[in-house]
Amino acid sequence: MAARAGAQREVFPRASMGSRVADLLFRAAMLFAVFVGFVALAAILFDTVSDGAGRLSTDFITNFPSKVIPENSGIQSALVGTLYLMFLTAFMVVPLGIATAIYLEEYADRNKWFNRLIEVNIQNLAAVPSVVYGILGLAFIVRGPLGLGRVLLAGAITLALLVLPVVIIVSREAIRAVPPSVREGSLALGATQWQTIWKQVLPGSIAGIATGVILALSRAIGETAPLLLIGAAASPRFNPSGLLEPFTALPIQIFVWTQDSDRSFVAAAAGAILVLMVILLLMNSVAIYLRNRYEQKW
Amino acid sequence: MVEKVTDIDETADAFSRARSEGNVAEEPAAAGRSDQNGARMREPIFDCHDVNVHYGDKLAVRNVNMALGQNAITALIGPSGCGKSTFIRCLNRMNDLIPSARVDGKVVYHGEDLYGADIDPVSVRKRIGMVFQKPNPFPKSIYDNIAFGPRIMGTKGNMDEIVERALKRGALWEDVKDRLKDNAFGMSGGQQQRLCIARALALEPDVLLMDEPCSALDPISTGRIEDLMEELKQNYSIVIVTHNMQQAARVSDMTAFFTVELDGDTGHRTGAVVEYDRTDKIFQNPSDKRTEDYVTGKVG
Amino acid sequence: MPVRPALRTRFQEELRTLEDQALGALDMVVSTLDRALEALSHQDVELASIVIHDDDRIDGRFLEVHQGILSLLALQAPVASDLRVVAALLHTIKHAERMGDQCVNIAKLIPLSGHEPPRNKQLMELIEQMGVLARSEVKQAKQAFALRDVEVAEDLVRQDQRINKLNRDAFKLGVEIGTDEDTREWAMHMMLVARALERIGDNAVDIGEQVAFVVTGLFREFSDASRSAQHDS
Repeated sequence: MAARAGAQREVFPRASMGSRVADLLFRAAMLFAVFVGFVALAAILFDTVSDGAGRLSTDFITNFPSKVIPENSGIQSALVGTLYLMFLTAFMVVPLGIATAIYLEEYADRNKWFNRLIEVNIQNLAAVPSVVYGILGLAFIVRGPLGLGRVLLAGAITLALLVLPVVIIVSREAIRAVPPSVREGSLALGATQWQTIWKQVLPGSIAGIATGVILALSRAIGETAPLLLIGAAASPRFNPSGLLEPFTALPIQIFVWTQDSDRSFVAAAAGAILVLMVILLLMNSVAIYLRNRYEQKW
Repeated sequence: MVEKVTDIDETADAFSRARSEGNVAEEPAAAGRSDQNGARMREPIFDCHDVNVHYGDKLAVRNVNMALGQNAITALIGPSGCGKSTFIRCLNRMNDLIPSARVDGKVVYHGEDLYGADIDPVSVRKRIGMVFQKPNPFPKSIYDNIAFGPRIMGTKGNMDEIVERALKRGALWEDVKDRLKDNAFGMSGGQQQRLCIARALALEPDVLLMDEPCSALDPISTGRIEDLMEELKQNYSIVIVTHNMQQAARVSDMTAFFTVELDGDTGHRTGAVVEYDRTDKIFQNPSDKRTEDYVTGKVG
Repeated sequence: MPVRPALRTRFQEELRTLEDQALGALDMVVSTLDRALEALSHQDVELASIVIHDDDRIDGRFLEVHQGILSLLALQAPVASDLRVVAALLHTIKHAERMGDQCVNIAKLIPLSGHEPPRNKQLMELIEQMGVLARSEVKQAKQAFALRDVEVAEDLVRQDQRINKLNRDAFKLGVEIGTDEDTREWAMHMMLVARALERIGDNAVDIGEQVAFVVTGLFREFSDASRSAQHDS
């Protein structure tokens, strides 16, 4: 029966003016926040580019740093050091991290106290400031029990320790994303647990693990504090000739140049920052590409 | 009035030759050993003696004594929580994967107790295949899905032939023979489930355990798989858990009805077998009132 | 795209087998009826007793089909046209069994009428004509069902009207058969035979109604077959 006029009720009540205004204000606030962040980043980028773009050249990359002639300073030793560090760190952290993740996800009984202790520790370690890792490295690796000295290997070990918790966490996430039904299916076909891990779980999670490892490494090579404490060399005019040789890295070189009282090193520092940012950008792009291309959608 | 004629008996199973008096006879069937008429049974594929399953200290399934037939389809029906899935997982030692689960009793398969001291669960699972409720193909190609089992087992021989044979037995060959390298995830749900069946068959087991294989599928796929089960019955023994009674009625030769027993004091729920008999008896003239109430839908 | 295979082949086969068995019972009825009529025209008491014993076969077939139907209903849950077929088969096999019983009734009457030739040729001819008609009705009913042909089924009404007319004619003849006691006794027995044949015809028409039900989904009594204005008895 049609409602009589006066007792008319809408089928769908329209949104009130107040809620519409609130909606708009909220969206405006969000956009403003994005804007602020964007502008800040753009300003930094602009500043760096304007300072350093001029310095970029092949000479810049092939030259060694020069304390005497700023215009001739180059980043070869820093770049090489960074690359060595990256590979050494990866070499140490990937097997350790994945193996730990596999243990925690596939074998550990959550009810046992030591397994819970390990899990809690890993979460905590991921949040520890990097300078603490530097102190750790200085005390135990450069000096102390290992006594390696201020060398490449010490830097790599310290960085590996720094990113290990992240790699473990990321690998665990990737492994956990493999649904239990895949494991059940494999086991029901008469595979052992190890065969299941090696042939089903790992292949299914490798994309996620790779992405996470690359992101972790990109963090590692940007860290300055630990390497400072380890005692990376300042402006060396040589590349590290072995694992137990002095070294430097891009963040250190940048730091050294910005601290220099001679203001003409500013351009060199900006140039080095740009190079570092390009490397990081590349690594992140590779990570994103890998994720998009190979990610397993369950 | 004439003497009762012989039963209309579709299946070739020896142990269903029992009721030569026709189906009108009232036989008090105990919930236990099948076939109280003493008819000679072909040797059963699984002979379960006093099987009890605990999760921690909770008794999940109580005292199962059943002999499941060879080259027959046995259906396990019952309300949810009655332990039918728990029980079927005892038959290929999948309950071993649950840390708190404990299985007591004997399950005799080809003369060996599956739970004997020196039996390796991994080798049990190679001979007793399982298909799950939600199709779970591996994120690999169709070919690699099928080949996974034989490769693990180290089977020598032409893998292409093995894969083709398994796909044919799983009634999937015609659908996929031109795209064996495609990812298995690109198939429809019904095809994925037939892939899982073919994958299990690739190991040449003699038993196929199916835990609600059609509950995630549409009716046409379900029908296809039921027809497939009919074909497979000739060479394999099949045990199927289903919460769809009509499915049990359509496909199975023997049906076991599980019920949930609620312990008044503790509130624990325990599953137990109420009646185990020929399917046409269970659905036309069950012996136990609980069975009757369940199949007629009076009690969920 | 490969041809999609048919689903539920086992169920379809079982249904077909059931139908074959039920319709086969109608064949059994025809051969029993033949023998009963032959025994009648030749006063063959031995043949009559064979007919009586052979009815066990029809009864057995009834049980088989009945059990098969129950099984099919319980296990396969047929719906739509399959369900109508199953229901129709249940009626049909019952009618076949009744027709078999009617043949037995005829056969039982034979020894009672003695070992002498028929007392009234005319009456005997009427009975024999009814026999022929009844036989053809049964065959036609079977054909209608097998072919699912409603027209053929409805035609049964026409034939049945003829049987009913012959029945009434036979009745009239019987009433005016005369005074000889043996002849009158014989005529009474022939009335019962005629009645039995007329019932066989009615059963065949009922089967025809089942055919219409299967095809159309509607059940209706075929007009006037057993409800004619001059209802005989």
